[in-house]
Amino acid sequence: MQPHVRPVPGQFYLLRASETLDPLLRRPFSILMWDDTHLEFLIRLKGRGTHLLRNMRVGDRIDVLGPLGNGYPDPLKDETPILVAGGVGIASVFPLLHAGTRLFYGAMNSAELYLLDDIKKLTGNIFICTDDGSKGFKGNAVERLIESLDDLAVAKPTIYACGPEGMIAALLKFLSERGIPGYISFEERMACGIGACLGCVIKTVQGYKRVCKEGPVFNVREIVC
Amino acid sequence: MNLSVNIGKLGLKNPVMTASGTFGYGEEYAEFVDLASLGAIVVKGLSLLPREGNPPPRIVETPAGMLNAIGLQNIGVESFIEEKLPFLRQFNVPVIANFFGDSVDEYVAAAERLSDVQGIDGLEMNISCPNKQAGWLVFGTDPEVTSEVVSAVRKVTGLPLIVKLSPNVTDIALMARVAEDAGADAVSLINTLSGMAIDIKTRRPKLANITGGLSGPAIKPIGIRMVWDVFRAVNIPIIGSGGIMDGDDAIEYMLAGAAAVAVGTANFVSPTATVDVLSGIKDYMTTNGIKDISSIKGGLIWEREDL
Repeated sequence: MQPHVRPVPGQFYLLRASETLDPLLRRPFSILMWDDTHLEFLIRLKGRGTHLLRNMRVGDRIDVLGPLGNGYPDPLKDETPILVAGGVGIASVFPLLHAGTRLFYGAMNSAELYLLDDIKKLTGNIFICTDDGSKGFKGNAVERLIESLDDLAVAKPTIYACGPEGMIAALLKFLSERGIPGYISFEERMACGIGACLGCVIKTVQGYKRVCKEGPVFNVREIVC
Repeated sequence: MNLSVNIGKLGLKNPVMTASGTFGYGEEYAEFVDLASLGAIVVKGLSLLPREGNPPPRIVETPAGMLNAIGLQNIGVESFIEEKLPFLRQFNVPVIANFFGDSVDEYVAAAERLSDVQGIDGLEMNISCPNKQAGWLVFGTDPEVTSEVVSAVRKVTGLPLIVKLSPNVTDIALMARVAEDAGADAVSLINTLSGMAIDIKTRRPKLANITGGLSGPAIKPIGIRMVWDVFRAVNIPIIGSGGIMDGDDAIEYMLAGAAAVAVGTANFVSPTATVDVLSGIKDYMTTNGIKDISSIKGGLIWEREDL
């Protein structure tokens, strides 16, 4: 395939494997890796839509719409980016990883920590956490961040995060208490992906905004908890 | 091949329109579709003042369909005129403003304002919303209230007036007759069907609004039946909608009596759905030797003598 537009980190695509009427809608996925002729996604099997995608074979046709959404802004020169990911949310922040980037990465258990080998090739500054303690710190990535941020003693930390609702709520609370800047990629049920259906909104200080169009990445200052 | 159709005094170059709420204000689809190739663009429903809409989650997928409870979020009539209409006017395509209100007065005020500007070629009234002044009774489910609001709007607009009917009624043919008698130039049907879905793990509704409107292929047989019912009851043109995914679906609606069709949920599945439906209609005409699209309107062949 030949993507017409190269994505930027944090953007997403809508994928559709089925050519039948059920399941009807496309499924949104963050872009994980890409080059001129490939797009890679991390897909967690959840329902029928994702199972159809898994059952595809090399050579099958897939309907791809994207890149969509805004992506993460670049950190300012004096800022130190710190990535925080929960579970499959790693896909969204993965393209931000560079040599030495600090990453707090949590999952339910060690089996749900994805891409560890790829991550280790890029950075050694990984803070692994699992809810059940099967690997790394016992607890979630935000708890680990709260515990270690001061010890890291980095200049102007700026958070880039994606993860499940509970993790994001805890992160927003911490960032707002400490006045730490950050960008979070949000997930919401989506239909069109191009800003028309108004199905995927989240509450911001300026009213509802569309995750697919004004997002999926929002400045933490915009979000109403 | 003649694809043109008339909706009252409004001539369309072809019968494929967009269903309100599924095509934004047109601009969202401009990079996927040549807007000028469409029969008409029906924009997202407008109210006199902007509306914030419902809290999320607002949509949920259902078998071959989806439920939505967007809550009529929109930028309001004035912002539409100032910010969105100039873009649409660049294209050689009729613009139909869908609008609604909480009261007869609000409908009238919105219709008056929308009739007052250049670049709007028709109005479509959404009467599937509740009337605040009449105990939240939905306008489009009571014949008297429908008659009152359509008559009131008719008095203040010279634009072609389409009334979008709610399917959440016992006798949609009656509602269509009421709209016709009150001065509507056309009716469009069907709007979404009231529905609901529950997450059995959490025991909570899947939509924050609890109930929502069902759309998509799942509702097509209902739409076809209702168009057929209405076709035998009124003399004004019908715009058929409900689950149209391709040209064959559009043809089915026309055979049931629709003069034109509106493509809705399909736009969410594929942003080029409108033009794909149009090319499917052309294919059908070519294959079947049909020269004029109007010739198939109401072309259903049936045998029951008692209807």
